[in-house]
Amino acid sequence: MLKSFIKATFRSLTKNKAYSFLNIFGLAIGIACASLIFLWVENEVNYDSTHLKKDRIYLARENQKYDTYIFTHSSTPGVMGPAIQAELPGIANTCRSNEGTESLLFGAGDKPVFANGKYVEPSFFSIFTLPFVQGNPATAFKQLRSVVITQKTAKKFFGNEKNVLGKSIRVDNKQDYIVTGVLKDIPANSTIQFEWLMPFQIYWDKSPWLKSWGNNSLSTFIELKPGINPETLNKQLYGFIQKREPSSLGRVFLFSMNDWHLYDDFKDGFKTGGGQIEYVKLFTVIAWIILFIACINFMNLATARSEKRAREVGVRKVLGAGKGSLAMQFIGEAVFMSVMAAFFAVIIIALVLPAFNTLVQKQLVAGFDNPYHIIGLVAITLTCGLIAGSYPSLYLSSFNPVAVLKGLKLKDSGAAYIRKGLVVMQFTASVILIISTIIVYQQIQHVKSRQLGFNKDKLLEISLQGDMAKNFNAIKLDLLNTGYIQSVALSDHEIIYGGNNTSGLTWDGKPPGSEVLISQRYITPDFFDATGLKLIDGRNLTAMDTNSKPIAMIITQSMAKLMGKGSAVGKRVHGERDTTSAVVVGVVNDYVYGNMYGKPDPVMFFSTDPVHTTMMYVRIKAQKGIESSLTAVQDVLKRDNPAYPFNYRFVDDQFNQMFQSEMLVSRLSRVFSALAIIISCLGLFGLAAYTAERRVKEIGIRKVLGASVSGLAGLLSKDFLQLVIISCVIAFPVAYWVMQGWLKGYQYHIEIHWWVFLVSGLAAMFIAVATISFQAIKAALSNPVKSLRSE
Amino acid sequence: MIKITNLEKFYRTEEVETIALNKLTMEVNTGEFVAIMGPSGCGKSTLLNILGMLDDPDEGSYVFNGIEVAHFNERKRADLRKHNIGFVFQSFNLIDELTVFENVELPLIYTGVTASERVKRVEEVLDKMQIMHRRNHYPQQLSGGQQQRVAIARAVVNKPKLILADEPTGNLDSSNGNDVMELLTDLNEQGTTIIMVTHSEHDARYSHRIIRLLDGQTVMENIMV
Repeated sequence: MLKSFIKATFRSLTKNKAYSFLNIFGLAIGIACASLIFLWVENEVNYDSTHLKKDRIYLARENQKYDTYIFTHSSTPGVMGPAIQAELPGIANTCRSNEGTESLLFGAGDKPVFANGKYVEPSFFSIFTLPFVQGNPATAFKQLRSVVITQKTAKKFFGNEKNVLGKSIRVDNKQDYIVTGVLKDIPANSTIQFEWLMPFQIYWDKSPWLKSWGNNSLSTFIELKPGINPETLNKQLYGFIQKREPSSLGRVFLFSMNDWHLYDDFKDGFKTGGGQIEYVKLFTVIAWIILFIACINFMNLATARSEKRAREVGVRKVLGAGKGSLAMQFIGEAVFMSVMAAFFAVIIIALVLPAFNTLVQKQLVAGFDNPYHIIGLVAITLTCGLIAGSYPSLYLSSFNPVAVLKGLKLKDSGAAYIRKGLVVMQFTASVILIISTIIVYQQIQHVKSRQLGFNKDKLLEISLQGDMAKNFNAIKLDLLNTGYIQSVALSDHEIIYGGNNTSGLTWDGKPPGSEVLISQRYITPDFFDATGLKLIDGRNLTAMDTNSKPIAMIITQSMAKLMGKGSAVGKRVHGERDTTSAVVVGVVNDYVYGNMYGKPDPVMFFSTDPVHTTMMYVRIKAQKGIESSLTAVQDVLKRDNPAYPFNYRFVDDQFNQMFQSEMLVSRLSRVFSALAIIISCLGLFGLAAYTAERRVKEIGIRKVLGASVSGLAGLLSKDFLQLVIISCVIAFPVAYWVMQGWLKGYQYHIEIHWWVFLVSGLAAMFIAVATISFQAIKAALSNPVKSLRSE
Repeated sequence: MIKITNLEKFYRTEEVETIALNKLTMEVNTGEFVAIMGPSGCGKSTLLNILGMLDDPDEGSYVFNGIEVAHFNERKRADLRKHNIGFVFQSFNLIDELTVFENVELPLIYTGVTASERVKRVEEVLDKMQIMHRRNHYPQQLSGGQQQRVAIARAVVNKPKLILADEPTGNLDSSNGNDVMELLTDLNEQGTTIIMVTHSEHDARYSHRIIRLLDGQTVMENIMV
């Protein structure tokens, strides 16, 4: 029986090539597209899964309550780790490390290279699963000046040398370190990323501020003993810092490694349940929508051409086939087509995976040898086949053999309505995707063109290395003398990101008990000129202000507003717990930093000595070219700081990098809406062909009676156009609701304009008409004599 | 073999109710060759469809081989049908996507005959119908006469007790038509009961008995000598 089905299916496929192509190609695109998305989802969901103790690993985080909100920090006091391990039962291990990574210059061969890494305690190797390729965790940090590197880093430092254990490497042109271990490379989907690891003691020794309970600047990782409930521990952690430092705002809690990547979104001290998971969910839904659109094509084409199959159904029924066996046959056909589509999908996946990787900025592998992937593909294929075959099989197998063998025209109205309904669903999904794509694009453009308060264009950021700080005045002079540079300044923080902040300040008129988080930046006087911040009140800082008493400072407008009415110049700010006192000498405009969607938060600027800064900002003259200016800067730095390679960033590039998630959504939504439309149109094309075929006699008669080609083409297109219009009517409010929800997640966002809907609707209609018109015009141009004779 | 009593069948549209069979009563014995004649719309095809259990009557009784089948559900009817009844149509109704061999094999598949047995039986019947040399051709590659031979081969391959033929020569020229009638006569002589609907007096003369219908009722029965 099976053989007979397969044979009949295969011959029916080869006989109706166009039909088969539309179905299989549409399904193949759908399956390929869904598979790619699921590869991405798999990668996201499996973040950090290489760490065997993942379920017991936590990052200590802190909630700090301010006047209007609770801020959730990821850093904790430097002295906390050993204290909680000693006092709280249930903790198996703790590990402290610097937050994020630090960039250092390593000189192994003739070419020194920068590499990013972390300072960690030896427990790091037992908490996280980090297999050693060379060396071992017990001895890795026996001596202070040791460094553990990854395989990739080993290659970067030493080329193809096999055994690098015991090798010496010079760090920052100052100190020699011994390589005491080589780790297996860290998978890309791991939250913990580094090129090198060094003993935490080094960092501890050079950072005296870490010893205070009031300073929060370290990551503390915690491994719980098996079976320990983190909630029990959270209760003990809640007041832990306050017992040592009553004025601290920090309330510590455990943040599970299972949530680090996907659920890293906090509001008012609680996990929102959002984060990267929202994109994972969104794209999973889109994958199913695209598969469903492809399945709809199959259903529609199968029922539309049912007249051709009707006689076969009749004969088979007369010969004894039951409804069930016929239904199985048609589902079997759908599954068979779906299997063929899967075969092509595999080829498509292999071909487009590199492009998809570029798109999502990952290194996904198709992994056709991975049993989970095979099971996944088979599951998608079978699901597709079952969905696609479900309705046609019910419809076709229910034909009355007497009627179909008599050649009676089938009453098609029920099926026709369902077909129309399915087309409406396809186009509704497509129109929603088009609208969303436009709005996402608009929102990104909106933020990108936001007035940040400073000028990010042609602004060069260079990390200070070697003697740059010491020789700053000479370097500055040399840079200005090139003629390419307008101004040069130093700062202790990158202008575009958040940085140090404090809440321990007070001033006359500050409401009692009020807690406000204020950022502080240490700069040299040309900073405002270099970055384009405007002084709107008072005077600029000078080098004389560096050690002045009281400390001179410049504040931003929003801080001036906090300090009350009238000019802020001359007002004083005091430390709440010490005798520090500062006087406002000037006010600059607000600027956006940290969160590019957020409102500008208050900032204080202090003048400082170059040795206390980390970043140099170089403003290129407006009329000078980028390339030649870069060469000029490079020449100066090569001469004045020869031991270090020239390393720079453009601030506008950094700015663009802050929209990676949004850009990903934007790019993917563009691709997916294009695919949804293409697959929908494949179906529409086939459906139009069958409609034209069904109405061939009507067209013939109308032509004989004098209908024009355009009139006939219009007649045939009208019905489909109605469906697209209905789709728009459904899609508009849904898209509005969905996108309004998305935009609400951003403080700084666009308003949705009515013309977006108009444009999307017109685009869908235009594409639909273009698709149908080929068939409609072909039918209208056909010779009526032929169509009438064939009856 | 067949006994129908007071059989009624109506067709309803929104406004009109048409009576296709009007309290029809008739009997067909095993081994008989019966021709049913009458003008268009007299109920011939409706009767044949009910006899073939493709359709069910609205009223009355239909006893097939001693079993009352008038109100059998579709599954039971299909089961009875595939083991007992073969069909021959005016328009042959072969499946275009299957070869001659596969078309003939189809009823055997639905009755669950094993593959080796199927090959044997299909070859046997193709041989008998003298179309063995065409076994791998598709229906559209055959002449009308050949297609009807294939259809008859398909109807008899399961060795049914009853063959229902709906104007089997309607689409054929007279020479091919005569061949088909000879084939049916041979089958009847070997013991198969045949009921044939026809417009042709010539074809009807091959039968033992002619039942003439008008407006869903028997108006005359001729016994052939």
